[in-house]
Amino acid sequence: MPRPELKEITFTIDGREVKAPENMILVDAAKHGDVDIPVFCYEPKLGAPVGACRMCLVEIEGIPKLQTGCSTPVKDGMVVHTATDRVKEAQQAVVEFLLINHPLDCPVCDKGGECPLQDISFGWGGGKTRFIEPKRHFQKPLELSPLIAIDRERCILCYRCVRFSQELSEDYQLILHERGAATFVGTFDGHPYVAPFSGNIIELCPVGALTSRPYRFRARPWDIEGSGSVCALCPGQCNVTFTVRDDRVLRVLARENEGVDDGWLCDRGRFAYQAIHVDERITTPLFRDGGVLRPVSWERALDEAASLLKKAGPRVGALAGGGTTNEEGFLLQRLMREVIGSQHLDASGVNPDDLWTLLDPELQATVPDLEFAHTVLVLGTEPVDDMPIIDLRIRKGVRRNRVKLAVATPRPSSLDANAELSLRYAPGGEGALVAALTAAVYGGDVVAPAEAAGADADAVRALAELLRTGGGDAPGDVVIVWGTSMLQTDGGAVAPALLKLTAGLNVRGREGAGLLAVPASANERGLLEAGVAPGMAPGFGEVPEGEAYHVEGIAAALRAGDLTALYLMHEDPLRDRPGSAGWDHALEKTTAVIAHAQFLSPGLEAHANVIFPAESYAEKEGTITHTDGRVQRLRPAIGRQGETRAEWWILGELAKRLGSDLGVLTGAMASKQLFDAVPFYKGLTLDAIGGKGLRWPADPDAVAAYPVPPESRRDSGYEAVPTPNGRLRLGTFRSIWASSEVEASPALKFLAPRQQVEMAPADARRLGVRHGEKVLVGSGGDGTTVEATVTLRDAALPGSVFLQTGITNNAANVLDGPLVEIRKA
Amino acid sequence: MANIGHLTGEGLQAVPRYAHGSRVPGWDDAVDLTKDPAGVPDPAQVSVPADLRASIEDYMSRYPDHRSAAIPALHAAQKIYGWCSPEAIEQVACVMRLTPGYLTAVAGFYDQFDLQPMGHRPVYVCTNISCSLRGADELLASLQDELHDSLDVNLRGFECLGACDIAPMVSVEGVYVGPVESPEEIAELAAQIRAGEDPLPAKQLLKRACQDPNSGPS
Amino acid sequence: MTDLILFKNIDEPGLATLDVYRARGGYGDRLRKALSMPRDGLVEELKASGLRGRGGAGFSMGTKASFMPKGQMDKYLVCNADESEPGTFKDRELMQKCPHMLLEGMIIAAYAAGATRAFIYIRGEYQQQADILERAIAEAKAAGLLGDRILGFDVNLELWLHRGAGAYICGEETALLDSLEGKRGNPRLKPPFPANQGLYQGPTLINNVETLATLPHIVEMGAGEYAKIGVENSTGTKLISISGHVMKPGNYEIELGMSSRDIIYGLAGGPGEGRSVKLWFPGGSSSPVLTGDDLDIPYDFNSMAKAGTMLGSGAIIVVDDQTSVVDVALKTAQFYRHESCGKCTPCREGTNWTVKMLERIKSGEATPMDLDLMASVCENIIGNCLCVLGDAMAMPVGSMVKKFRGEFEEYIEAARERAERELIASITPSVEVAA
Repeated sequence: MPRPELKEITFTIDGREVKAPENMILVDAAKHGDVDIPVFCYEPKLGAPVGACRMCLVEIEGIPKLQTGCSTPVKDGMVVHTATDRVKEAQQAVVEFLLINHPLDCPVCDKGGECPLQDISFGWGGGKTRFIEPKRHFQKPLELSPLIAIDRERCILCYRCVRFSQELSEDYQLILHERGAATFVGTFDGHPYVAPFSGNIIELCPVGALTSRPYRFRARPWDIEGSGSVCALCPGQCNVTFTVRDDRVLRVLARENEGVDDGWLCDRGRFAYQAIHVDERITTPLFRDGGVLRPVSWERALDEAASLLKKAGPRVGALAGGGTTNEEGFLLQRLMREVIGSQHLDASGVNPDDLWTLLDPELQATVPDLEFAHTVLVLGTEPVDDMPIIDLRIRKGVRRNRVKLAVATPRPSSLDANAELSLRYAPGGEGALVAALTAAVYGGDVVAPAEAAGADADAVRALAELLRTGGGDAPGDVVIVWGTSMLQTDGGAVAPALLKLTAGLNVRGREGAGLLAVPASANERGLLEAGVAPGMAPGFGEVPEGEAYHVEGIAAALRAGDLTALYLMHEDPLRDRPGSAGWDHALEKTTAVIAHAQFLSPGLEAHANVIFPAESYAEKEGTITHTDGRVQRLRPAIGRQGETRAEWWILGELAKRLGSDLGVLTGAMASKQLFDAVPFYKGLTLDAIGGKGLRWPADPDAVAAYPVPPESRRDSGYEAVPTPNGRLRLGTFRSIWASSEVEASPALKFLAPRQQVEMAPADARRLGVRHGEKVLVGSGGDGTTVEATVTLRDAALPGSVFLQTGITNNAANVLDGPLVEIRKA
Repeated sequence: MANIGHLTGEGLQAVPRYAHGSRVPGWDDAVDLTKDPAGVPDPAQVSVPADLRASIEDYMSRYPDHRSAAIPALHAAQKIYGWCSPEAIEQVACVMRLTPGYLTAVAGFYDQFDLQPMGHRPVYVCTNISCSLRGADELLASLQDELHDSLDVNLRGFECLGACDIAPMVSVEGVYVGPVESPEEIAELAAQIRAGEDPLPAKQLLKRACQDPNSGPS
Repeated sequence: MTDLILFKNIDEPGLATLDVYRARGGYGDRLRKALSMPRDGLVEELKASGLRGRGGAGFSMGTKASFMPKGQMDKYLVCNADESEPGTFKDRELMQKCPHMLLEGMIIAAYAAGATRAFIYIRGEYQQQADILERAIAEAKAAGLLGDRILGFDVNLELWLHRGAGAYICGEETALLDSLEGKRGNPRLKPPFPANQGLYQGPTLINNVETLATLPHIVEMGAGEYAKIGVENSTGTKLISISGHVMKPGNYEIELGMSSRDIIYGLAGGPGEGRSVKLWFPGGSSSPVLTGDDLDIPYDFNSMAKAGTMLGSGAIIVVDDQTSVVDVALKTAQFYRHESCGKCTPCREGTNWTVKMLERIKSGEATPMDLDLMASVCENIIGNCLCVLGDAMAMPVGSMVKKFRGEFEEYIEAARERAERELIASITPSVEVAA
């Protein structure tokens, strides 16, 4: 639904005339007049006010009873009093009531010093209590989950946490037991509250009832500093504030940015900071000497790396992983192209022309568009795993603005319950599915492509109908949230079909509509725009004619000996890329593997020759680009750990040793070079990007500078998914918890996923396996298998199974697919 | 001031409670970290008795929003299992596509749902003002004495049951009887409750006239 | 005394069946008359009758119906049959003896409100009454009196019975809506009022059983005739439930404006020989109490309001002079503490605190100063809560402290003395303490 328009009105508060948008909630509007109305339960991010705590009672002329400021929209001419005797009495009464059972253990409470209850008691309370009965006492603190402790004595029952669980993240695990004065917060039958966004309740709690177990007793508010930056652990790129004490990150808090995260954080973003300060981190340069990786001096490491590169000449490939900044990517491609003379570098692994076409600013939707669109289609991605924060945004749109949601994914989606329509197709059927959908929108043969996708043709038609009529008779504002990993399948059929679909839905150039890519890694868009892509200079510029290998090409060339050295930035292909068997073979053959890494992953441990310690995201300086085109700034919150040095500096030093000067003496100079090199980044400055980032697609000059993508290069032909013939089609997914940071964080370790194979009950019956049973999944041929636990899912598409990737042990990328066999372990 | 001296005495809590003051253990309990988080149960993983499923689905069909069926569905499950056991709640959650937490929160709010194993035959003694004025607290105490070993009976004091005209009164599995005053009557009622017989047939509310209370059976 | 309206034939055997109800004029000409009136005309008629809601708040039924928005949308009628106010049992009588009168009233109300779906929310404890209503609904459906095209008119009504599960607060209309939506029965913020955003966010008319059951009679008699019964601002007859210390507790149908003494002594026989009325709740346990000196106040909405209390649900609880006011206050406070939903602070904490103070008074650990504190806590609850439950405790308890302060003080002194004696006895077991 389109965004509402705001009208300005004038109202009077405590004798002062104040202007505010009409119908703004009084508590917020009062701030325009510099009047603070105290609140506990009111939190606009949680949706409609509930008026439970009664802290915000105010007097409004013409209404006999005191009113709650949290639920009163301001109107023109309204006269409000917040400091009359009557209001003060009510405020003092509420504070007195709230403190009846509150333990006042502030000296040992983690919230002390940053506690709204303390502040409000001081500011609006009576300063004394008349309650002489014993306070209630309970065991405390208790575990609510491995991450969260609950102290029920301190709870003032403001309901914020349960509202978050029930109405925001919609996991509905955190509940109120009992009623009245006996009410308490808990879960069903003692199950832990573990959910992707559970940590937000810690920040929401206005008292010390919910505290972070990893942060408990680590610091007092006066010991710490806040340092604003961006979480670079996933494509969501949420804005965060690092809580720093003695140069250590002790906590991560949300830093609200309406354009990115709406003020929430996922638990990975909130707790994975722990991986910054673990012993497993590589903090000195390592060099393989006599078959063993040993710490060496920077001089030695750089010299060795340079000499290995020199030896390889131009026969070097490079891969950059998701944690790489724009500047690092930009300098990497300069090193490769200008100094080494190789064009073989890649990050995303998909055809860059496809992304160039689909990231066109004319087609670009923004994150807030998800809230106000007529229709949102989630296509080939599971937001909660792939870009968690937009899961909340999609739910918000459906809940608050009745956005019509459609889901088309191979695997059952956590958004199915919110969707008007959910459609399943077989893994690998992406191209055919989009083709079928396009045909259904334009009119054409739907049945053949739908069959080829393993999807139900009627469901495809219904989806097309929903998209076509979302805005009444017209499509209205349609936002398609699509996973870029789709481009890796089906030989490139997806991009042209998707482009045609957008044309049919009239989204080009339309405000509030368009495509929103869910990248496969944190800075996929930025790296592409910085030129880390085969055959694509910064800003989709031209490169000299000649061969330029993408990811799989690099692996093949390494295996064939055409390339002899590999430069890996924040990347272990054995873990991060499909086809790990091929990569194992390739790394085996590679003479020199040079890596930037925080952790010694299995591939690096076995094959790396030189490893430079990589900065964590809290130490980095530079920019990353959000999938909707927002360039955001990483600012160092802490000093670099151990001997770690800036990575732009490493690239510069290597260039020097190879006889070139990249001309980078500071991080800011690297940014300047990048902004100058990418036409649509022209004029950007770090200052302008500031704390909230800057969306270049919102700048008409930048849009004009976007090079016109190539005309549709291929037919939108598609391949049919294979017929199982007694076997099963293999699909993969990467859980929100599948990451090296999760595995390295003491507090999050428990979430590191174990391999499971999801299947439909019908397939399980046929195979004679039960839920929870251990099985071996193999792709036949070479006898490679993955051990997994059977998970039955009622909504799964029969004939297909799903395994996890991105995990260290037993990951699905050892299997080739597309068909697998399952037998009991 | 003698005749309702026990008005607020022992044994009059409206609902049995645990030492920590709650009907569900919880105030002092941490979660069990070995359990998985409790999301919406997958129908492929939970089996539900066919008749329970059918009645829940029938309830769900009556309302524009299927969640409205939560209370009727919990009534149905409690009837089968005697209380809202975790299994019962999981089964209802599975059919209704809700989390078990949702249903636990609902069940915990209402007095008629038991979140602890209880006798499956509810016997409520109204102990609110009007009934107390007429000896309900003594009645409850006597019945507790008589029935303390009947484990299938869930005897408890209850807030006003809406039958102050037959105070003091008892609801025996939904059948209202009263006034129950003499020790003989109490003993007779207790015996009938224990045996599962029709309670005090002559004193059942449905047989009472409303306009002239003294003309009905006494 | 006027003729009985709701209770006419009430004890006739078989009145709960469709056949007998029809034979007594049910679902007949009056329903046809109602459904053939233009919708606005019917609403005007209801307004003109002066009928005020019989659930407790006493809001004009016709005016409430007129708040329902016009236009095509899903609208709902909800019958509040969650009769839980202590002392109240009149709706129960109607439902168990004449369920079809309620259904007929609901058809009329639904037509007036433009609602096509209706629910009866009956408290879970009324199992027998629910069974009787289920049978009546089934009969009515089978006879085409519910469903599509009722009596051949362009009026459709789908009606379901919904059982609650034991929560006083669900008698509050917005809590009832939450409960009917399958949630915990927490009251909602108002505005929005149910007429704009009620059940499932749709416009909703909510009325009490007695209110709805009266509608067929208003249509039959005509609003003018109905309005002649009773007194100004309190038209019609009222079912009242009398309980506690009276000889003949029960339900009575009276004309509003009758003297309270005539009700308590005349109809219900008074507290019996040698006893007198010490205090009485005129409108359920939520109403501030009156004393034996107030028996001559006429029983109607305005007179009760003038006396500082309310007619409420029409439930009179009589407490005789043999009973301690402290016990009554504690019982009252305990009930509201138990039934507070816990959503808003003053009610949740205030009811709990009040009980604790009364318990202290009982156990001899209070001083007369605590009465001031208790009065202050009650004051701090009143008007500051999300719904009226907190007020419903604070007003009667506050009124008891105010009107019986002397007795409270005596009680406190006596309890302290007793506690002191017990204490001394417990620490000096060998010494005989004079009683």
